[in-house]
Amino acid sequence: MSTQADLLPGTLDLLILKAVSLGSLHGYGILLRIEQISRGALLIEQGALYPALFRLVRQGLLKASWGTSDNNRRAKYYELTSAGRKRLREEHEGWNRLVSAMGSALAAEPERS
Amino acid sequence: MLSYLRQLFFSLFHGTQLDAELDEELRAHITRHADDLERSGLSRPEADRQARLAFGSPAKTKEQCREQLPAFWLETLWSDVRFALRIFRKSHAFTITAVLTLALGIGANTAIFSLVDTVLLQHLPLRASNRLVVIWISNLKNGWSRIGPAGQDYLDWKDQTRSFEDLFLFEHGTGTVTGAGEPEQVSGLRVTTNFADFFGIRPLLGRCFRLDETSAKHNLVVLSYAYWKRRYAASPAVLDQAMTLNGETYTIIGILPSDLATVFPVDVVVPFDNDWLKRADSDLGVFGRLRPDVNLRQASSELEVLMERISHQRPDRKDYGAVLVPLESARVEYIRPPLLLLLVAVGCLLLIACANVANLLLSHAVGRQREIAARIALGAGIARLARQFLIESTLLALAGGASGLLLALWTTYVLARFIPSRIPVPNAADYVSLPSIHISTPVLGFTLFISLFMGLVFGLLPVLQSLHLNVNDALKEAGRGSSSGPRGNRTRATLVIVESALAFVLVIGAGLMVQSFSRLLQTNPGFNSDHLLTLRIKLPNDAKDSPYKEPRLQAATFQRFLTAVQAVPGVQSAAFTEIVPLSQDEMDMGQFIIQEEPPPPPGQHLATDFRDVTPDYFPTMQIPLLQGRLFTEHDNLDNPRVVLVDQTFVRRFFRDQKALAKHLRISYGATQPPREIVGVVGSVLDTGLDQQPRPTVYLPSSQSPDQSMSLVARTALPPSAVLPAIKNAIWTVDKDQPIFNIRPMDEIISGITSAQRIAFLTLDVFALLALALAAIGIYGVTSYAVGQRVHEIGVRMVLGAQRSEILRLVVFHGMKLVSVGVLVGLFASLLLTRLMTGLLFSVSATDPLTFAAVAFLLVLVAALACYIPARRAARVDPTTALRCE
Repeated sequence: MSTQADLLPGTLDLLILKAVSLGSLHGYGILLRIEQISRGALLIEQGALYPALFRLVRQGLLKASWGTSDNNRRAKYYELTSAGRKRLREEHEGWNRLVSAMGSALAAEPERS
Repeated sequence: MLSYLRQLFFSLFHGTQLDAELDEELRAHITRHADDLERSGLSRPEADRQARLAFGSPAKTKEQCREQLPAFWLETLWSDVRFALRIFRKSHAFTITAVLTLALGIGANTAIFSLVDTVLLQHLPLRASNRLVVIWISNLKNGWSRIGPAGQDYLDWKDQTRSFEDLFLFEHGTGTVTGAGEPEQVSGLRVTTNFADFFGIRPLLGRCFRLDETSAKHNLVVLSYAYWKRRYAASPAVLDQAMTLNGETYTIIGILPSDLATVFPVDVVVPFDNDWLKRADSDLGVFGRLRPDVNLRQASSELEVLMERISHQRPDRKDYGAVLVPLESARVEYIRPPLLLLLVAVGCLLLIACANVANLLLSHAVGRQREIAARIALGAGIARLARQFLIESTLLALAGGASGLLLALWTTYVLARFIPSRIPVPNAADYVSLPSIHISTPVLGFTLFISLFMGLVFGLLPVLQSLHLNVNDALKEAGRGSSSGPRGNRTRATLVIVESALAFVLVIGAGLMVQSFSRLLQTNPGFNSDHLLTLRIKLPNDAKDSPYKEPRLQAATFQRFLTAVQAVPGVQSAAFTEIVPLSQDEMDMGQFIIQEEPPPPPGQHLATDFRDVTPDYFPTMQIPLLQGRLFTEHDNLDNPRVVLVDQTFVRRFFRDQKALAKHLRISYGATQPPREIVGVVGSVLDTGLDQQPRPTVYLPSSQSPDQSMSLVARTALPPSAVLPAIKNAIWTVDKDQPIFNIRPMDEIISGITSAQRIAFLTLDVFALLALALAAIGIYGVTSYAVGQRVHEIGVRMVLGAQRSEILRLVVFHGMKLVSVGVLVGLFASLLLTRLMTGLLFSVSATDPLTFAAVAFLLVLVAALACYIPARRAARVDPTTALRCE
């Protein structure tokens, strides 16, 4: 049985926001952290990451700035803006609602007459 | 919105910087991944490779990022445009042909549309111009369909109708202005005092008439803008100054605005005096403004009932009716048929041009099948492809539209020479002046719209084609693509048929028009119109102390003018007449009875046209004398009254009996002396070259003098050469006599044939263009078909086919399509030429000879267009053809 789940479309943004909320990261770091916090169950297609980051920056949910990484190399770091934090909260709540609704729907038993 | 624009700007100007940053970021990512992989034990090169594989294509990532930039679509648009321009440069023959064809179609349409817009669609600068109607009276029993009403009619209508908000009465006339330099004949308008209010006129300076200023003792006058500019150099000091008009002193009280000249091209305007108005007996003009809730039909019926009632009250109005025509419509009645014809013709031309361009684009797209297939293989979506094609075709269309506009400007300039500045009002002996053509904003908008629309339609054609593209085949060397399949050929075939049909219709129209116009010009008007000069003289007798109030003196004065003119070398003969034939100057008709015949039954009248002429009129005009004698100088007021009648009169009223020596009594004035018919002359066309002659009675001018008459002079040299001498001769008799309406007869005739001339000229040009375009189109399609079948032709030749057989094969294939097109065109023409009958003169709209000739011509042209590529086909070298897979 596969321990890996397929990523539902639209959830990449949410994962990125969550990952960055735990501390500002560069692109590769975000990738690693998502893998880490999902305990390896979610693997992100590397090519899809940067367009998503680009989009989130344009929407004003992330802020990007150049800095130096641990091995003295230039890297672009992303952090949440206040709008991003708000969006993360909203999406999280929405996700929880969805999960509980799906859960109760799927747990329905045939009615006993 | 603002942030969007800001981002747009930023990405436009910092594109390369963004690109470089993204590059660096992606590279760093891959490097880090490689580092991690190296740490987990792989060698450096292997770690690099795996990291790169895992990431995928950085180019694709960059592309996806760039796609999100707001400037992205602009960037791609710009690159598409650059690509399109490269394509055009590469195949410049295609580009030039397409642009020129489009320019022709769009340019011709713009020119005609601006003509139609200027003439037919312009609203008059008058208050509620769409509710203004012209009211004529009519007496159909006498064959008079539109007569100017009398002052009493106006008063009756004003009192007794409810359909109109207001009624306006006017009279055209001329007057003599003296007292400042050379005496000048001016054109004038006498109006009811509601002039300014009726039309919503705001004077440029001063004021217009007040409603109560209806007495002659006021003698007020308003000047037109043009006259004020010409005579007074637009000086504001002209107000309240005096002016001598017809020997009387008038006070100038105002200046009219310049845009009024389109409707009333006169110099001066004076008000009606109330007494004068009641006595003004006919040939006036009446306009009415309908109430907003009343339509034309309701007003017409009300007036019909009223005229019936009036005919009981006024015996002179028995059998008279009224005719209402909207003013805007009446003004363009004459010129509307040819203009509508032109619209249809130029539309056909545009369709042919479009068919040609569509053909061109289809063939061009075929040549690009490999490129298109490659794009699809590389992942281009239909949307992207469609955008590329749309951009290409829109660029072509805009280029065509721009060149078309230039062409239209030139055409309008040329057309303006042929469009007359004034056109007749049919059946009403009146003229209307036309504004000059110019390209206006709606026309520019129309051109732009057509160009963009063409661009859209043509762009979609290759797209629809690509949908059926087999990418694999196309990528191979032998790629001929879907356009060569049955679908493409069907489209081409349809285009050829459509073009042939349209060309047929246009050439038929032109052919009919050519015949009609030449027959019109060849019509014998009953007199010799060659080298004939006409001018008009009005003896100024409006002044109270004028010497010309005595009829004998009027007659004698004209005789002195005549004697002086006849003495001019270069004048072969001269005479005076009340009305020049075909000139639409005025009408003179009335009722009469034949003394020797029983009177007509009650309710019926005999009516005819009258003309007062000097004895030399008939020799000068070269109107033949058929029976009896002409007038002599003895036929004056001291001698018995005589008349001449024309042949139409004799046929109408005397049948087979002799007319000579019978007597007519004409209801002119108080006394009705019997007038003896002393001769019969030939009939003359008076109302138009395409009209029937009307019965006419001629009176000697010495027995029926007029205040104004026209001189007709036959000159040995061209009339304009002799004109100065004639003018001088008149001035030796009276140096203050103004002369006006100077027109050679040729000019008069060209004036009344202007509608047919316009149709004739433009239709011919369009037909020629259509024929040329259709020929090019047929040539193109046949040429292409030959190219497609080169292999097949090679095979046939190897199998023994002769060159002549190949020739026949190709030509027949092309001609098959053309024949279908000609048949379609034939049927279409049979239906459509019916619409032309108004313009056609003595030619049937379904003239079989014309139809046959045009069919033959078209087949000939098409055969030639097919022959040239066919010859190429026949010369094909079989071995090369076979190699061509």
